[in-house]
This record gives sequence, C-alpha cells and structure tokens, in this order.
Amino acid sequence: MTKHKTKLFAAACAGALLLAGCGKKDETLKLFSWSEYVPQAVIDKFTEETGIKVAVENYSSNEEMLAKLLAGGGAYDLIQPSEYTVQAMIKEDLLQELDQEKIPNLKNLAPEFRNMPFDPDNKFSVPWMAGFVGVVYNAEVVPGPIVSYKDVFTDEHAGRIVVLDDAREIVTWGLATAGIPINDVSDENLATITPLLKDWLGKVKVFDSDSPKTAMSNGDTDIGIVWSGEGALLFAENPKFQWVMPVEGVHMFVDNLAIPKTSRNKDKAEAFINFILRPDISKMISDEFPYYNPNLEARALLSPEQLNNPASYPPGFDLTSAQLFTDIGEQASKVDELITTIKVQ
Amino acid sequence: MAVTAATAVLPTGPSLQRRAGLGPWFAVTPMLGWLALFVIVPTLMLVVVSFCERDALGRIVYSFTFENYTRAFDWKWLKILGVSVWYAFLTTVICLVLGYPVAYFIGRSSERVRGLLIMLVMIPFWTSFLIRTYAWISILSQEGLLNALLMTLKITSAPIGFMYTPFAVILGLVYNFLPFMILPIYTSVEKLDGSLIEAAYDLGARPARVFSRVVLPLTQPGIAAGILLVFVPAIAMFAITNLMGGGANPTIGEVIQNQFTRARNQPFGAALGVLLLAIFIFSLWLSSKFRRGHEA
Repeated sequence: MTKHKTKLFAAACAGALLLAGCGKKDETLKLFSWSEYVPQAVIDKFTEETGIKVAVENYSSNEEMLAKLLAGGGAYDLIQPSEYTVQAMIKEDLLQELDQEKIPNLKNLAPEFRNMPFDPDNKFSVPWMAGFVGVVYNAEVVPGPIVSYKDVFTDEHAGRIVVLDDAREIVTWGLATAGIPINDVSDENLATITPLLKDWLGKVKVFDSDSPKTAMSNGDTDIGIVWSGEGALLFAENPKFQWVMPVEGVHMFVDNLAIPKTSRNKDKAEAFINFILRPDISKMISDEFPYYNPNLEARALLSPEQLNNPASYPPGFDLTSAQLFTDIGEQASKVDELITTIKVQ
Repeated sequence: MAVTAATAVLPTGPSLQRRAGLGPWFAVTPMLGWLALFVIVPTLMLVVVSFCERDALGRIVYSFTFENYTRAFDWKWLKILGVSVWYAFLTTVICLVLGYPVAYFIGRSSERVRGLLIMLVMIPFWTSFLIRTYAWISILSQEGLLNALLMTLKITSAPIGFMYTPFAVILGLVYNFLPFMILPIYTSVEKLDGSLIEAAYDLGARPARVFSRVVLPLTQPGIAAGILLVFVPAIAMFAITNLMGGGANPTIGEVIQNQFTRARNQPFGAALGVLLLAIFIFSLWLSSKFRRGHEA
C-alpha cells in the first residue's frame, strides 16, 4: 500500500512539474525550416555564441509548413517561407513586423535582394538563399546543345528524365514554353498547356523534389529539371553534369526567414536573423548548400570554385529577368489535380 | 488426457459465478482512454474534416459540403486506388508464398534454433524502414551494387534499370512487410500439435493431404492475421512506393499525402482517407468472417 502511494505521489509531482513547465516562458528558439537547408554547424555556433538553444523541425514544402503552423501544432519562432508564401502570409496578417534596428547586418544583403516585390522594405522577411529551376544534363551521354525546357522532353530522352515532383513547377515550364506569364494559372491557361504536359510527363522516369540529384548521379537518368543547388552539387561532384538556364524564362525562388505572429521569442528570432546575415556565417551555409547567396559580403568570402559553379551563379545571367512566383491561392489544388491526372492517364 | 477433460462435468452454478467488480474496469481504463484519444477522436476528426471546405491558404472552413466525396468518385482517383490495391494484393500473395515455408520451418525447429531464427527475422526492425529503403536504392540503381555484380560476372553487358519500376515498388513492399507475414504464421505453427500430424500419417494420409487437411486449417488463424497485417498497411504505404517507384505512378497514399502537404486541400485528403478506412473495415470484416467460418 505504501509503495503504491509513493508511486502515486511521484506521478502527481511529475504532472505538477509538467504543468509548471507549460506556464514558464520557453527559452528555446524554435526554428521551423526546410529539410537540408540549415547546416547544423550554424545552429551549434549560434548556441555557442549566444547561449540560446535552438530546436529545429523540418518541412519539405511551403504548404506543409503553412498547414502545421495554421493548425497551431507547435509555437514556432522562426519559419523559412518562399516568396509567394511570404506574400500570402503578409496578406493574412500572420507575420510579425521586424525591428530592423536589431538586424544591422541587413546592410550585407545585395541591393537587388532588399526591397523585393513580395515584401517591400523587408518589413516582415529577410532572404536566406535564392535559387533557380533549370536543366541539368550528363554531357557524356547527352550530346546537346540543350537550351530550352522542350529540349529536355525529346523522344531520345524518354525514360531517362528526372523532374521535380512539384505540380506548380511543372506547370510553370509549360506556361513559359507557351509564352504565358508563369503566375497566370487560370483554368483556360491550364487547359492550353495540358496537351504539352501530357506529352512531356509521359517521358519522365523519376519525379523527385527532395533529392533529384540522386537519380542523376546513380546513372538512372541523363537529364532533368532540378533546383540550382542540386545542379551545383552535381557539377561539383563531376563537371560532366552541365547546367542550363532555359531560354523561355527562368523561375527564381527566394527563401526567407520570418517570424510568425504566434512567436513569443521575437528578440531571439531577430538575433538569429542577424547572426545568419554575418558574412562568415552566411558563407557556412553556402559551403554546404550551394544556392545563390543574396549576401554580398559573404559572396566576397567564397572561393573562385564556388563562384564559378554555373548552377550557383549562372554566368552572364541578368537577375532582374528572373520571374518570381506569386501566391495562387485555391488554384494550387487545381494545379495539383492536373498533374496527378496526367500522371495516371 | 483430452478425452477425460471433455467428459468431466464442470461444476456450474450461481454460487461459483463471480460478478465482475470495478477492478477489471479500472484495469482497462488506460487502454480505453488510449483508444478514445488516439483512435476514436482522430477518426471522428477525419470524418468531420472530410465534409468541410477550405480557404485559399488551406485552412479548414467548417461549412458542410459533399463536394469532396463527389470529387473522390472520379475515375482517376479510383484508378489510383485500384493500382494501390493491386500492389497490396501482389505484395500479400508474394509475402504469403515466401513467408509460409519460412514460418513453418522456424516453428518446427528445435527451441534453441527457433529463438535465433526469429531474432534474425526481427533484426531489420532495429533500423528505420526508410534507411533500409534507401539501401535498396543503392543496390538497384544503374551504378549500384547489383548491376556491378551482373556486369562483372558478364551476365549483362549494359546496366539494367531496376529502379523506378513497378518491380522495384513490389520488391520494396515485400521486403518491408515480409516479417509481418512470418511472425503470426510462426505463432500458429508453433502451437501446432505434432501428434496430430503423426496421427494423419498413421491413418494413411500422404504429405499433400496432411498439409491441406491438417496443417493448413490449423495455421489458418496465423495466415489470416498475416494477410491482414500486410494487405492493409500496404495499400496506404506512400514512402516506399514513392522512393522506389519514382512518383510516376502515384499510389493512393501518395495522393492523400499530397493533399495535406502540397495541394492545400486537407478536406479532400480526409475524404480519400475515409474511403480508405471503409476498405480497411471491409477487409477486417471479411477476414473475421473467414476465421469464424473456419471455426464453425
């Protein structure tokens, strides 16, 4: 009987502690980020310098992040939305305004990455990394020249193609090829490009957004449309993997750090944003994930090899010609249904 | 022995019957609480959400609609469901054919060997199934281990594309679900009374007849459990089918996952989930009927 009581007492104490823990303000910074995007070394260094612990949770699409954030599952302090998601979240009043005085390192950003159309004056967001979607091919097998999206989907390449498993991206290549603005995803425009996409997707071997480079480096595919960071890693592994910016027009994405309204650790989140804008820290990110670094001061620290990687920093490419996504709202579901329909035909 | 027990008169009467007090109820409360919290409540939420609408950001709007269900009964989703059921069926059949002899062999081995063999079956569970699936990718890819072996042995001159095919999907599913077929059948085989088999032989039955009339009926509960444990999760599996199949022929699990993570359409995903649940309940009912039919 006594033993029983002791156990009960212990359980009650544990419960009380748990409740007490809930009431206390959380000291940990909760970062909700893309998988394969934030080097562990950067997080460790931040904790070492500031004493602030960081808990990381990952997602693999903007929609997944939105769904979890809006469901109120975790009280995230810092999220990493892409440009069109920042736009939608500002509109829905889901982000906190940044105190720019606490982020002096903003000055390190290249002028073209400050004041971007989705968030004028960087009121709510700060660019993390940018990148493109382009063509990568194995020059040992594919003779080339490859210049456009439609050069990918030829009969010779049928069954040897990898593309991103992302309905919005796939639709974008079709729209660009048809000469339609990439954000104009009306029902009519989707209908216009459907025959083209049917022809294209029938030739695709692998759909993979998480790691399309795997199918390329394993030799299962010879050509593909992938994220520039993946293309850069392939090129660094072996220069036979050539990178092409399609002539029809290139889609650029800008991933950002932002603080959701629900965060109660705004100070710490701003400290983290300022930290990653430091040139030496930003360089650490580029070392591991070779996307386009918007941080001018950090780019000065990169090796010639990194800067000459054609997928990371496409030579002679005019950044202002790249097109950004805008939020398409409920059409996202239609776009997804179209691609799924074509896949199962 | 058995005869004596059956003919003995069991003392029955009100004096010997015990009323269940509060004790047993108290004992099952944690289990009932668990079921309510993690099975009943989520299922009800799924059903409620499947009749809801959503806004531009994908938030659930609590206004009643049938639209998700009318959309779900379109040929393309049904076709995807059909392919998923077909994959699950093939996986179940192959697991049964491969797993039964293994389970039988293990179950009839000596006690010492049995423990060792069962441990060998269980060892893969020590590693996440995702990691084991990635291992298969490095074995099956064009520049992978299997192609290197085949080319060294001069069996093929050019690498074979094993990956990203229905073959790879089925292989991944069978590999992952095989232990779930072996273990329940093994439990049935272990309980099998050897003297019954001996008796069948003594009465002049041949091996095939002993198997079909004695062994098979007695291990039927294990087979039914194994089929259920493989078939049901195999229909909804999305990680293995996506990694091994390359996403060109999505399964219903992949489509449902997409509704939650990309298409901003949780209500539609929930509606497809409810349909899947209906299929599961139907297979459970079928399997329990199959078992009861056997016992009767």
